Amino acid sequence: MRSLALAVPALALVALALYPTIATGYGLRAVLQVFTWIALAGSWNLISGLTGYVSFGHVAFFGAGAYTGGILMASAGWSWPVAALLGGVAAGVLALGMGWTCLRLKGPYFAIAMLGLNEVLRALVSYFEGLTGGGNGLSMPTLDATVPIYYAMGVTALAVTLGARLIIGSRFGLRLMTIREDEVAAEAMGIPTFRHKLLAFLLSAIGPGIAGALTARDQGYIEPLSVFPLATTITMIVMALFGGKGTVWGPVIGAIVLFVAQEMVWARYPYIHPLLFGAIIVAVVLAMPRGILGLLQMKYRLPRTI
Amino acid sequence: MEDVHKSFGGVRAVSGVSLSLPRGRIYGLIGPNGSGKTTLFNCITGVERCDRGRILLDGAPIQHLKPYEIARRGVGRTFQMIRVFPELTALENLLVVTTGPRAAAEARARELLAFVKLEGLAGEYAGNLSYGQQKLVEFVRMLMRDPSLVLLDEPAAGVNRTLLNELLDAVRRLRDAGKTVLLVEHDMKVVMGLCEVVFVLDHGEKIAEGPPGTIQGDERVIEAYFGR
Repeated sequence: MRSLALAVPALALVALALYPTIATGYGLRAVLQVFTWIALAGSWNLISGLTGYVSFGHVAFFGAGAYTGGILMASAGWSWPVAALLGGVAAGVLALGMGWTCLRLKGPYFAIAMLGLNEVLRALVSYFEGLTGGGNGLSMPTLDATVPIYYAMGVTALAVTLGARLIIGSRFGLRLMTIREDEVAAEAMGIPTFRHKLLAFLLSAIGPGIAGALTARDQGYIEPLSVFPLATTITMIVMALFGGKGTVWGPVIGAIVLFVAQEMVWARYPYIHPLLFGAIIVAVVLAMPRGILGLLQMKYRLPRTI
Repeated sequence: MEDVHKSFGGVRAVSGVSLSLPRGRIYGLIGPNGSGKTTLFNCITGVERCDRGRILLDGAPIQHLKPYEIARRGVGRTFQMIRVFPELTALENLLVVTTGPRAAAEARARELLAFVKLEGLAGEYAGNLSYGQQKLVEFVRMLMRDPSLVLLDEPAAGVNRTLLNELLDAVRRLRDAGKTVLLVEHDMKVVMGLCEVVFVLDHGEKIAEGPPGTIQGDERVIEAYFGR
């Protein structure tokens, strides 16, 4: 069982590494998108799945990374790997500032504040035209980098997932869960909850920041509406919930299954696909509020780090 | 604790209470519902910040500290309504409190679970345990930090006789180990049998203080409980 649990991800990893040598253009783009969703849903899970502080504006970090990376590439001519890392740094800095003020808020108030952050960023980016191109968007020099971006996004998704594995398997991860379970009791037991939340929030912003900058490079063009969409936040939340919030592999499974489902529904029913997709989401959340892995974990006493 | 005040809006929950708790004894805090007992607990543990007055722990003021800082200085508590972490296992409930090497922490956690005969349920989610078992988990979780001052909010509520006696034995052993215990309790038999000094609160003020025998006969205490 244990060797199987190691063999499956290892084989998947090798297959994904070799995939670009045989892939069609569509196939490569599809897997790249799955990588992006894994990085986003897995990152959201670190703050919201573990501490219960639901971030309703997590795409703000994606957008901040996209614009930081985009400006560095387009205006300063930096190479994309460096720009991508700095996109992650920028998102982390933003998370520290935002978390410092907003993580003192409880429950729905934090969710709403994060929603507000995303709108504010979009407005700021539109306003400072000189730097960001405003509503006209920002174009990067043409460069076909799909294969390198594929690998970079894959490594990002892997890093987020391995990071989650390390955190959830540690007492730091358990302490994050005590915040979700009962914050007052956690404090009374000597756990500095604010510091824990802030660190989790910082960690949860870096992945989306890098993914945003990589996406900017990949698409070659960004504009405020394309990198700060609320729908992206909702999709990453649904993926994490579907797979199992608070688990390591839940967001990965959620991203793969829902991405494939979305593509299939979209191909067959182009006009009503949002409706069908919405119905699937409602059904799943009603039937399995813990998500696939959460359900299995409770039922079969699986280890915490699945 | 000196001259502690706490109001919620226009309600004076605690007004001008001073208590002194020399080490190594068991103290009781009693009073009718709404007399300010839990508020006083919350002030000591930093959950509420008192409006006025000082709270000293070993001579150092702690009334301005955050709850986790107070816990780290050796104040442990249990809650009136049980507050275990339901989706963590019994063992994890204790582990989260620890830092340092994990193996040693786990050994200590298992030792404490064995102390209340719950070692067989270490891997069970705390939310699946019975009320009494959760109460024990909460009790030993509080002991993980080896607190010097132990605050128990209604330890006897909803606990059967056998379990209660075990719990009371454990409290006495804590006292024998040199710890100070302050408990809020409605069950007078428990208070009278266990506590060495009893404080009585009414309408946020301390109306009596002394050994249980003296308190029972105190005019103002009888009046507060039964009316004139």
